[in-house]
Amino acid sequence: MTGSTDGRAASSSNCWKIIHIPDKPPIPPDNQPTTIVHAAAIEPQHANTIVRKLNQIAPLENLRHVKRVHKRCLDEGKIQLFVVLCMAPENDGKCNHMPEEVLELVTLYQLSTFITKVCTYAASTKEEWEEQCKLWPTSFHPPTYNIDGITGFSEEDSQSIFRFMKFAVSLAKSGVGSVVNAAVIVDPSTMQVIASSRDQVLSCNTPIKKNNGETCCSRLSEATQYDTIETEDRQSLLSKCSFNDAKLTYNCVSCLNPWSWLEQKLHTGSGSWHPLQHAAIVAIENSAARERDLFPMNGHIADEFVHEDYKALSPTGSPWKRQKINLANVKDDENMNCQKNGLRSDSSRPYLCTGYDIYLVWEPCTMCAMALVHQRIRRIFYAFPNSSDGALGSVHRLQGEKSLNHHYAVFRVLIPVDVLKSEALFAITAENG
Amino acid sequence: MVETQEDTICFMNLAIEQARLALDSLEVPVGCVIVEDHTVIASGRNRTTETRNATRHAEMEAIDMLLEHWQKDGLSREEVASKFSRCTLYVTCEPCIMCAAALSIIGIKEVYYGCANDKFGGCGSILSLHMNSSEKLTSGVSKKKGFKCTRGVMASEAIDLLRSFYEQGNPNAGRVNTVFTLIQPQSLTESQCKGSKQFDTSCRGAVMKNVTCLRSY
Repeated sequence: MTGSTDGRAASSSNCWKIIHIPDKPPIPPDNQPTTIVHAAAIEPQHANTIVRKLNQIAPLENLRHVKRVHKRCLDEGKIQLFVVLCMAPENDGKCNHMPEEVLELVTLYQLSTFITKVCTYAASTKEEWEEQCKLWPTSFHPPTYNIDGITGFSEEDSQSIFRFMKFAVSLAKSGVGSVVNAAVIVDPSTMQVIASSRDQVLSCNTPIKKNNGETCCSRLSEATQYDTIETEDRQSLLSKCSFNDAKLTYNCVSCLNPWSWLEQKLHTGSGSWHPLQHAAIVAIENSAARERDLFPMNGHIADEFVHEDYKALSPTGSPWKRQKINLANVKDDENMNCQKNGLRSDSSRPYLCTGYDIYLVWEPCTMCAMALVHQRIRRIFYAFPNSSDGALGSVHRLQGEKSLNHHYAVFRVLIPVDVLKSEALFAITAENG
Repeated sequence: MVETQEDTICFMNLAIEQARLALDSLEVPVGCVIVEDHTVIASGRNRTTETRNATRHAEMEAIDMLLEHWQKDGLSREEVASKFSRCTLYVTCEPCIMCAAALSIIGIKEVYYGCANDKFGGCGSILSLHMNSSEKLTSGVSKKKGFKCTRGVMASEAIDLLRSFYEQGNPNAGRVNTVFTLIQPQSLTESQCKGSKQFDTSCRGAVMKNVTCLRSY
């Protein structure tokens, strides 16, 4: 789950670390909610029959993650089996109500029953799962298993993640005014920067009209999009670390305070401004502009896209049905991705930001986080949380919003706060360069 | 100026016309108009396929149109903000979470929408960002802004368009025999959103059976 920096960075106490931000708010692993159940020791030769019978008469509807049978090794190398009989509804502290059929089974096999606790919800992390099994064994299916990084990053992956995050930080500091948010969209399969941007709420320098593709940032991304990060990284870090900021304020970080666009001071001499041009929104437009340039539209492909999106649509009926369909949608999404990859190998044309990562210095606001769902970003890496409007865990948690048709994986890259000071970033550059 | 019900229908008809334009261009048919002092001052329709940018929803298009126009006219940010605070949006489908957040950021006065958006809706379905309001948190952090929201205006017309879009795209669509019902215009007040579950489910259940993925790209 974590990756450490290389020796040099670590020696200067710049400990960079990557942590996964899960779909659900984290619960301390040793403090998970539990449910009381009736259980009993059983003879191994009866195990099959009893479990089959129990699955019929007392299915564990809401405890599907709980294993019915618990195998415990006794001291003499013998094995003792325990089975969950049924839930034990709590009535004024008495939990001795077992359904008639279960009682019959208990009598038939002369079971001595007892009350025990199992975890109420399926584990979402390995740590949670390990704690759960101390109570009673459960099954564990790592969430979003298809996204790299949930189960940890290799040293090599960690290093490239840190490098892209440094690039984002350098962009955030690269303007004439205060620090703003910055975004870097990366194709991890080629390590290519697809688009990069800064907040443009206070100054776009150019007309808002995007179809011209002539905003300052799209020019920047044009310069970077065929480059590897290494050259761009070094250039920008070196050229942009010249100003001296004694006092850092983050008032101009759009996602931290989306409603303050009116109150912030406009940069003198800046051209137009736009309250919604947050870094992520601009980066999405830059990547779309790149796609339009590289792969001009033709009718045939347009049709195909309509069809593909249609495939993810299913009429939904009862809530039960909807749940199934959502699962089907996930599968469909995967199929779609495969198709798109197929399409890509034919024409190397991307579908929106499918398969791409985005690096943001601050956790995106609700608008930006939802924009990244729409654009099908695969992974989001951010450095600093956003307590006022962060939508990836701070205020909302869109990665866990089941109804959405796309889910990205979210990671926070822990970096020293003083990285935002020019000198600190320069120190990192000097070390790595 | 108070809008009559007739006005509401009239403006929503114009939004539907925009949605129809989107349909003609093979886009998911969602359209909108923005009204200031009884006059339509901007319109927008979904352009996600054309732009390869899945955030180019009707609302974003209309907002950008206004910002460009007003800046060309030399309006200051204060003037723009005060204009937005007098504007009403009419949109055929519930604004998604992104658009609802954007409408809150620009400080729109009021929103009327047609059908609900059960998968992405930011005005009552998934999140209720129109009820976004907070006291000034700390110095330097601005107040979150909410807006008045009314749903169910000409929902069946909006749904019909979305249906024809999907029927165009898929030969199997004819097999879908879900019954759509028109929801009556309802103001989304706090009590309705938070308190009455019954209201919520009846409303969503009726309308959103087939129209859920609309703004997904």
